[in-house]
Amino acid sequence: MSGSRWTTALRVGRAAVSQRFFAVLVLLVLLVVVFSLTQERFFTSPNIKALLTSAAILWVVSIGLTFVMLAGGFDLSIGSMLALASVALGAFVNDLGVTPAIAIVMTVAFGALLGGGINGVLVGPLGLSFLVVTLGTLILYRGVLNLWSDTRTEQVVSPLLDSLAFDDLLGVPVPVWIMAGTFLLALYVQRSTYFGRDVYAVGGNADAARLSGVRVGRTIIAVYAISGALAAFGGVLQTARIGAASPLVGESVLFDAAAAVLLGGTSFAGGVGGVGGTAIGVLFLATLQNGLSVSGVESFWQQIITGAILIAALLLDRIQRHGLASVGLRVSAPSGEAPPPAVTTEERQ
Amino acid sequence: MDPPAKRAAPLLVAEGVHKSYGGARALHGASLSLYPGEVHGLCGENGSGKSTLLKIVSAQVVADQGRVVLDGAETSFGDASEALAAGIATVTQERALVDDLSVTENIFLGPRKPRAWYGVDWRETRRQARSLLDSLGCSIELDTPVGRLRPDLQQMVEIARALSTDARVLILDEPTSSLADDEVESLFAAVRALKGSGVATVFVSHRLREVFALCDRLTVLRDGEVVGTGPVEEFDEGRLASLMLGRELDLLSLEERRPDHLEGAVLRVRGLNVPGRLGDVNLDVGPGEVVGLAGLVGAGRSDLLGALFGLEPRATGEVEVAGRLFATRGPAHAMAAGIGFVPADRKAHGLVADMTVLENLLMARDARKPRLARPRPSADRRAAAEAGRRFHITGGTRDAAVSRLSGGNQQKVVLAKWFATEPRVLLLDEPTRGVDVGAKAEIYRLLEEAKERGLAILVSSSETAELLLLCDRIVVMARGRITASFDRDEADEVLIARAAMEVGA
Repeated sequence: MSGSRWTTALRVGRAAVSQRFFAVLVLLVLLVVVFSLTQERFFTSPNIKALLTSAAILWVVSIGLTFVMLAGGFDLSIGSMLALASVALGAFVNDLGVTPAIAIVMTVAFGALLGGGINGVLVGPLGLSFLVVTLGTLILYRGVLNLWSDTRTEQVVSPLLDSLAFDDLLGVPVPVWIMAGTFLLALYVQRSTYFGRDVYAVGGNADAARLSGVRVGRTIIAVYAISGALAAFGGVLQTARIGAASPLVGESVLFDAAAAVLLGGTSFAGGVGGVGGTAIGVLFLATLQNGLSVSGVESFWQQIITGAILIAALLLDRIQRHGLASVGLRVSAPSGEAPPPAVTTEERQ
Repeated sequence: MDPPAKRAAPLLVAEGVHKSYGGARALHGASLSLYPGEVHGLCGENGSGKSTLLKIVSAQVVADQGRVVLDGAETSFGDASEALAAGIATVTQERALVDDLSVTENIFLGPRKPRAWYGVDWRETRRQARSLLDSLGCSIELDTPVGRLRPDLQQMVEIARALSTDARVLILDEPTSSLADDEVESLFAAVRALKGSGVATVFVSHRLREVFALCDRLTVLRDGEVVGTGPVEEFDEGRLASLMLGRELDLLSLEERRPDHLEGAVLRVRGLNVPGRLGDVNLDVGPGEVVGLAGLVGAGRSDLLGALFGLEPRATGEVEVAGRLFATRGPAHAMAAGIGFVPADRKAHGLVADMTVLENLLMARDARKPRLARPRPSADRRAAAEAGRRFHITGGTRDAAVSRLSGGNQQKVVLAKWFATEPRVLLLDEPTRGVDVGAKAEIYRLLEEAKERGLAILVSSSETAELLLLCDRIVVMARGRITASFDRDEADEVLIARAAMEVGA
C-alpha cells in the first residue's frame, strides 16, 4: 500500500520536475524561505493575506491570457478591456441603476463580447494577425473609455463590491476565494473538457487540428472571449478595491500578466504550458513585490529582478531542452582535441 | 565502364562507430566506406541508425566511440561547418531553402558568392549557378524565388548548393521521398553525372527499386549494426528486405481479389471544378474498392483529395457519399458525411507534435462531441491501447508526445485516427511517404482490412508500383483533369506514365 503511495509520489515528483515552470517554482519556494528567515513580518497571517489579495487582479487576468497563449495567440488589449469594464460597471450601477450583482454579470459578459466578438472574430474566422488586431483594440478601447468616462474617475458605492474586495469568509479573504474558484474552473476547462484539448491542438498545429475536424475559428473566438471576460472580471475587482470606476487603471497589467504566463512555462508559440504554471508565475511576482517592500528595498529592484529572471528562465528552458550548444556555448569534447585538419577551401581551389 | 571504386583507396571510412542517446543505443560498431566515384546505398528501417551514422560522418553529431577517416587522415571536426569545408555535404529531406530568395541566391547562400572589387560579382555568381544546374540537367530560371518552384526543383537547388561547396562526399538523405517517378529519373541522371567527377554519393531511400536502379554498392544497417555490405549485384530486393527486417517479408504480395459487390458507389463525384486547379472531375468509388490516383507532382492529385475533404472553398460540382449530397465546405462537413483524410505531410498537417499519442489518436473521433463535455480517461485509454495493438504502434507510450515516435509509427497514428471515426470513405495522400518497408507493409495490411470492411478508398501516390500493388483501379491525372482510367489487370507502369505525361494514346 505505502509502496504504491511512494511510487505515486515519485511519479508526481518526476512530472513536476519535467514541467517547464519547475525552475520558477523552486525560486518561489526559495524566495518564501529567504524572506521568512530575514523578515519576521513576512510570514505572518496578515502579510500573507495581503500578499495574496494584492495578486487577485493579476491572477484572473493572467489566467485569461494563458488560454489565448496556449492557442498560439496573444492579447495586447487586456489592460484596455479591464479599464473599459471598470467604466462600464460604474455606468451600469450609477447611470442605469442596475443592481450590483447583475451589473457584475453584465460587465463580464461585456468583456467576453469585446474579446470574443471583436478580437476573436477578427483573428479566428477572418484570419488577421493577432498582434495587429489586439494592438488596434488596445488603442481603440482606450479611446472609447476615455470618451465615455470623460477621463473622470467616478465613485461606485456598493456593499457587494466592498465585500468582494475586503471581507473575509471562513477566515480567508474573499479575493482569495475568488482566485481559487477561477483557478479551479480554468483548470477544469483546460484539463477535462474537449474544448481544453482543442486549445492545445490549435496552438500546437492549427492546420492539423483543422484537418482533424477541430473548429479552429470557434476555438480562437472562445479563447479571446475568455481573455476578455477575465480581464473584465479583473476590472470588477479593481473597481471594488478602489471603490470607483476609473479610466486610469490597467495600464501596466499587460506586462505583468505576460511575464507571469511566460514564467509559468506557457510558450509564445502555443500548445505548451497551462494555468497551473501561470498560478506559480503570478505568486512569484507577488511574493517578490511583497517581500521586497517588507524588506524596505526600493521597488525598482523588483522590475530588475523580474526582467532578469524572465530571461534567465527562457535561457534555462532552452538549455534543458536542446543542450548547451543551442545557446552558442561550445561544449568541449571530453578527451584531448586535435585542432581541426587543415583541409580548407583555399587548399582545394 | 569499370567502376573506379575497385582499385582506388577509399575516400572516407567510418569504423567502429558507437552512439547512444540516453539509454537508447543508436549505433553499435557500425562502419561505412565510400570510394570516389561510387553511389553507395545506405539501407535500413527507420530507427536502424542510418541518420545517426550520416550525422556522425558529417559531424552534426559526435560519436561516443569510433573514428571517421577522410583521405587517410582521421578527422576531428568541431562541427558540421568544418566537415562541409572539408568536402562533406548533406542534402536532407528537410528543406533548407529561403523561399523569398532567388535560385541563384539560394545556391550561394551566405558569404560564398564570388566577389569583385565593388562587392558581390553577380554576373559570375549567376554563371556558376547556371553551370551547376546544367551539370544536373536542370533548366530552371535563375531569378525565380525558390518558394514558387515545385518540390522536385527545390530539391535540385539544394543539391546544386551542396555541389557548390566542391563537395567530394555528397550525402542524399531520402531525396526522392517527395518526388514523382519521372523527377526521380532526372535526379538519378544528375547523380550519375557526378560519378565521373569522383564524388562519392551516399543515397538513402526507402524505395528499394530506386536503390537498385542507382547504387553501385550497399551497406545495410539493422539496430545500429551493419548486417551486410557489398556490391549491389550481391543483393536482390527480397534479400535486402529480409536483411533490413531480420525476418522474411511476406506482406508485400497482397491477395489478388476484386470486390464482387460493386452495386452502388459510396463516393460519387460529378463535375468537380476548382478554378485553375481541377477541371470537370468525375469519379466513382464503390464499397470495398481501392482506387489509385496516379500522375506527376502538380497534376492535381492532392487538389482533388483536398477538394473532396472541403479544403477548396471555390470548389463547385456534386459530391455524394452513400447517395447523399454534401457541401464541400470544410473538413467538419466532410467528416460529418463520413470522409476521412490522411494528408501527405504528416508533420505539417497530420499530427500535433506536442500532444500525446492518445490525444492525437482520438482527435478526429472526438471532434463532433460537445466541446464542454468531459473526456472519459479510462475509456479513452482503452480505445488508445486497442488502436495501439491493432495498428502495431510501437516505440512510445500513449502518454508520450507523438513526436517521439518514428516516422512509420507516426503515420500509423494518423491512419488509426481516421479509422477511429469509422468513415465510409478514406482519402489518402502519399500514405507511405518516408516510411520504412516494415511500416509500409503494415499500412498496406490496414488498407486491405479497411477494404474488407467495405470502405471506399481513394489513394494518391507518386509511386506507380505502389498503386499497382494496392488498387483495383487506377485513375491518372494530368493538369487537373482525369486523363485515363485502368483496371488492375490492364494497368502497367508504361501505360500510366504515358497517360500522366499525356503522350498521345
